[in-house]
Amino acid sequence: MATEKTDVVIVGVGAAGGILAAELAKAGMKVVGLERGPRLKTADFEPHDELRYFQRQDLRPDVKRQPVTWRANTNARAHPLGTLSYGNQAGGGTVHYGSVSWRMHEDDFRARSQTVERYGAAAIPQDSSLVDWPVSYADLEPSYDRAEYELGVSGKAGNLQGTKIDGGNVFEAARRREYPLPPLLLDQSGMMFDEAARKLGYHPFSTPRAILSQPYNGRPGCTYCGFCQAFGCHVAAKSSILVTKLPEADATGNFKLITGAMAYRVNSDNSGRATGVSYYGPGGSDNTVEADLVILTTFIYDNVRLLLLSKTDKFPNGLANASGEVGRHLMAHMMPNVFVRFDDRFVNNFMGPSAQKHTIDDFNADNFNHGGLGFIRGAQISVGTPNLEGGPLAATTIFPPPGVPRWGAAYRDFFAKTYARHAVMVGQTENLPYADQTIDLDPNVRDAWGLPAPRLTYDWRRPNELKRVEFMQAKMEEIGRAMGGQQVWRTPVAPGLPGAHHEGGTRMGSDPKTSVVNRYGQSWDIPNLFVIGSSTFPTMGTGFNPTLTIQALAYYSADAIVNRYRKSPGALL
Amino acid sequence: MSQQNDTHDRKHDETRRAFLVGAALGAAAGTSLVTEARAQGNDAHATTGAAPHTMPSGDSHGAFFNDEDAATVTAFAERIWPAAPGKPGATEIGVLNYIDLALAGAYFDMQDFYRRGLAQLDTYSRSTQQKPFAQLNGAQQDDVIRALEQGKATGFDWPSAQLFFNTVRTHVMEGLFADPVYGGNKNFEGWRQIGFPGAQPIFSQEDMQSREAFTRAPIVGIQARAGTPVRGG
Repeated sequence: MATEKTDVVIVGVGAAGGILAAELAKAGMKVVGLERGPRLKTADFEPHDELRYFQRQDLRPDVKRQPVTWRANTNARAHPLGTLSYGNQAGGGTVHYGSVSWRMHEDDFRARSQTVERYGAAAIPQDSSLVDWPVSYADLEPSYDRAEYELGVSGKAGNLQGTKIDGGNVFEAARRREYPLPPLLLDQSGMMFDEAARKLGYHPFSTPRAILSQPYNGRPGCTYCGFCQAFGCHVAAKSSILVTKLPEADATGNFKLITGAMAYRVNSDNSGRATGVSYYGPGGSDNTVEADLVILTTFIYDNVRLLLLSKTDKFPNGLANASGEVGRHLMAHMMPNVFVRFDDRFVNNFMGPSAQKHTIDDFNADNFNHGGLGFIRGAQISVGTPNLEGGPLAATTIFPPPGVPRWGAAYRDFFAKTYARHAVMVGQTENLPYADQTIDLDPNVRDAWGLPAPRLTYDWRRPNELKRVEFMQAKMEEIGRAMGGQQVWRTPVAPGLPGAHHEGGTRMGSDPKTSVVNRYGQSWDIPNLFVIGSSTFPTMGTGFNPTLTIQALAYYSADAIVNRYRKSPGALL
Repeated sequence: MSQQNDTHDRKHDETRRAFLVGAALGAAAGTSLVTEARAQGNDAHATTGAAPHTMPSGDSHGAFFNDEDAATVTAFAERIWPAAPGKPGATEIGVLNYIDLALAGAYFDMQDFYRRGLAQLDTYSRSTQQKPFAQLNGAQQDDVIRALEQGKATGFDWPSAQLFFNTVRTHVMEGLFADPVYGGNKNFEGWRQIGFPGAQPIFSQEDMQSREAFTRAPIVGIQARAGTPVRGG
């Protein structure tokens, strides 16, 4: 058993934790980072191997050692999920993610007010806990800008200080300057999507991604190998935390990374302060880091689980949980697909960065009139690859069109003919928050450390969300037909399971009675405890991928900690 | 030499041959190699594809499966991805070898899943078709597989019929399309049939915007990458 003392302990060194580690260490604070997985190197990511990284999920948590269970409702028994999409190494999910990097729209931060103003309060489903965020786009814009420039994001502005620019996202909120790097190259599916969407009057553009289109900050540009989502980048063109912020943190001399560390409790004293974090080491050793400031930046399951596991006599419902809100309002994007088959050409969409390549934002957020549609909030529609990855194994997970079986000679002929000759779109939907979609501790399933598994109680199939999925599938079919393919078909949407980008569980707010943390991620109950990441999102905000917003929030919190919190430690910001 | 060692050595040779073929393909993609691949394919077809009663030749399992289970898995996989004229099916592509090695390695905790699943499959086949699965004709095998897929096959406890079908289908796909280093996708035949060039380290703008099949560089596998420049052709 080892005990060490430091100024700050950060649990989980991923999208948010890596930024906080670097920023606080640069400001002279002594930082210890606890990371459950290993610290890998760029050289570890070659050769590319779809079986290892996509199919067997090498960079994600082992579902047997680190189970997360799911049930559709409280009457069902929860069972472990078969795949987990978050990261499991230093750098977290930014090591294997598709790198799609969005700023949210202005109205995303005020979804409730926007909806009430435009459609009336009755448009919000009665059981939804839709709220406004306690921060605005204007608050976060400087942090978005910093994240884009410090990490390296490629894209084209569509709204430069209020001037709309064709070819960029004309629906985006005003940005102070261009992206640091020009857009990534278009592949053929992106070209066809662009042409079809324009024909229909929509506004397509190259998806902004944290992948270098040119050399930047000593790293080379993308080679378009296609092994992107699910894989580590073999040339470090992906702007992961591993190759951006961790070297910065190392250079300060104030940062110590402990890998193989499974945090199991945030310690607190009777005065109501957090005193540090206890963790199991790789060989099972029991260790403690004592710290003046504790920051939780793990994936949402573990942020919630750690708070619940850390209950004491003083905090019998778990830490930071006087409101009873810890674990509530779990949200996830649903990802309905539409496929297009081409008999007259190869498309070869296994080339180039594999996640959402080219996008329209016309049906996202409140960018379109929802009047009479029977649902609120929208989806990002993009062209990309099956299952966000372009290899053949990913394609075999996708259902063939109606009438074609999943095996046998007809399937073989379909797959052999279609694999290199198809385009696929995905509608990434902004599902609303509902208080009864929760994360708690599973009473029946334990992980390899003997800790209760996080348990999700969740079913996305609510009227508002079902109508949105139907609407988006019809839109994607319309675009698919305009692309000129020989066949357009939608694939069945998964059962009630949460889809991609899980958010919520420690929601931020302006009122300690109805939220877990404030706008800086600071616990209302324990002011020297911060929780930062997508677990603090009070709504999904949008059909956009969350990582750049997580990173902007990390910069925002880091500034507040360095410039204000340090002057009066333990006080609420 | 004991049976076990014999199997081991053949396994070793198989892997080594796959490596050599892969390396050579990466280096040159020459005509002679295509010929060699074709010759091997025909050879395998002759030994395993002739009649439904034929047992597999034996050089593609032994790490986990016994002969009887290997025959069942071979027959099942071949119905999932059957051979066509000039196009090898799951058997020749080495799917059995892939699953056999996986169950002795990465999927070792699924051994009992397969034991029980295969036993249930044979019990069901005997009860509905009076013969074990491997001895049914193709149409009868398809009927059995369809019953599994639709959850209509009776007598399955664990794994359930649908779970067993879905798992075997997934593993067959892995045997067809995972890198040859894992024992399937022999001579890149799985990738060749669908037009996937393997782990290319770089694509150009011309590659990405072309409407033609990608033929600029040979198919690249894990073991073929070492020291092999891909640009050229």
